[in-house]
Amino acid sequence: MKRIIVEYDKCDGCKNCSAACMQAHRETDGTIYDLDLTDPKNESRNYILKDAEGRYKPLFCRHCDEPECVKSCMSGALTKDSESGHVFYDETRCGSCFMCVMNCPFGVLKPDIVSKSKVIKCDFCVNAGGEPSCVAACPKKAIHVEEV
Amino acid sequence: MKYVIVGVGVAGIEAAKEVRKRDADGDILMISADAQIHSRCMLHKFIAGERDEKGLDFTELDFFEKYRIHWKSGVRVKGVCPEEKEIILDDGGRVGYDKLLLANGADSFIPPVGDLRKASNVYGLRNLSDAQAIVKEAEDAKEVLVIGSGLVGLDAAYGLLERGKKLTIVEMVDQILPVQLDAHGAAAYQELFEKAGVRFVLGRRASEAVCEADGKIHKVKLDNGEELACDLLIVAAGVRPAIGCLEGSGVACERGITVDSHMRTTCQDIYAAGDITGRSGIWPNAADQGRIAGRNMCGVEAEYTDIYAMKNTINFFGLVTLCVGRIRPEEGDDIRIKEDRTQYKRVILKDGKVEGVLLQGDIAHAGTWQYLIKNQIDVSGIGKDIFDVSYADFYFTGEKGEYVWA
Repeated sequence: MKRIIVEYDKCDGCKNCSAACMQAHRETDGTIYDLDLTDPKNESRNYILKDAEGRYKPLFCRHCDEPECVKSCMSGALTKDSESGHVFYDETRCGSCFMCVMNCPFGVLKPDIVSKSKVIKCDFCVNAGGEPSCVAACPKKAIHVEEV
Repeated sequence: MKYVIVGVGVAGIEAAKEVRKRDADGDILMISADAQIHSRCMLHKFIAGERDEKGLDFTELDFFEKYRIHWKSGVRVKGVCPEEKEIILDDGGRVGYDKLLLANGADSFIPPVGDLRKASNVYGLRNLSDAQAIVKEAEDAKEVLVIGSGLVGLDAAYGLLERGKKLTIVEMVDQILPVQLDAHGAAAYQELFEKAGVRFVLGRRASEAVCEADGKIHKVKLDNGEELACDLLIVAAGVRPAIGCLEGSGVACERGITVDSHMRTTCQDIYAAGDITGRSGIWPNAADQGRIAGRNMCGVEAEYTDIYAMKNTINFFGLVTLCVGRIRPEEGDDIRIKEDRTQYKRVILKDGKVEGVLLQGDIAHAGTWQYLIKNQIDVSGIGKDIFDVSYADFYFTGEKGEYVWA
């Protein structure tokens, strides 16, 4: 399967990846230039964390080989696609229990801010041809896609 | 090879998938009292009318065809005969097996108070059939009494509120959700349910409930003498593993069926997983047990090791809560609290390790807490506010780019 490989030492925390992710998943039409960064509906699915020393540690969904989120999903909303290997989320089936948030060992998942009824989850930009927008937007080449 | 799996809850379903993955030709038969596959965690959505029966199905489309599984529904197991390698069904049939998985779950516990066990308008909330019966009974009911304010009691109340019923919830202890939350976190949900019209009677227990001529209970007397009128009662006082069918079978039981770490019972070729083992009441663990049992049934060695189950998430009226580990503070604890109008967070630390966490209002990125707690990771050396500790502080990637807890 394809995975976004992270080289955290190249990351300078610019958050272009997060902006690109917000743009890729916005409900409205438009370009990055009119993306409303203050609208809580526009949430990024990736995060740049900082450790205690101030180093940037990018947190991106790994689409794990044995995904804990899928294992804990009581509605069937989260599934590991047997073809691509990616973990997909079907909002319409989700029961909003958030056991996936509790069970992701790396803390990648979160409920959406506005309705607290959906999970904010990387979809590998499957609707944009499976080329992750974050990767295309990274000026430091700190993230790239690799067949693993 | 003939595999027989009793129960179509998550433990049974996951076991069946695992068996098919490892044995392409084996004959798999699933047997269940449930007439439909459903997620017990979504029964409140059915009662509320938000979802129909189909909407509770957690399996893939055409599950039984896809995995080539035979399914006999609407029957219960009455007995197990390990020597003959047969199970006896309540329709009189007998079914032979080479490998048997008992994943028939648990039954609602109705306490022996007054006529609670006899009356026709008293229900537990465990199966879709319970939810269907509750919805039917509720058609003519105005006042509903719920006994127990745990997750199941509140689920029932939430669903019936949507149907416009007048609800009273009686709880023995002096706060709601006593297993999951501290008093402060519980008060937030109490307020939301009260705003929606629910009346809570805390610190009280039902002491008298008499069946009237119509076979129903129309009032319940509490231990302080107060009488509560009701047309429908829901008893949410816990569950008991469904081990009645094993009496005299030789399959050893304590609270539930006794299993080893391979999910093997004391009888050859009989395995058990999920609530019937009495080991864990929560979905992810039951699923894990099912998968482990399935692997071992196919001769693939696997052990159930991730047994940590002191974890829960709650979501009512858009207020989300996550709680992992110990809830009650003890002497010598270092308790950290963070609170503002959108959130309440409390961490219990002891000797530099996190023993319990409660997050209400904001549970973003909270998955790491479970890992820190169950693996007793020392967090005292991290130069950060405890609420800012994240996976960044343990960051490590493996050869395939996967994250690893080093």
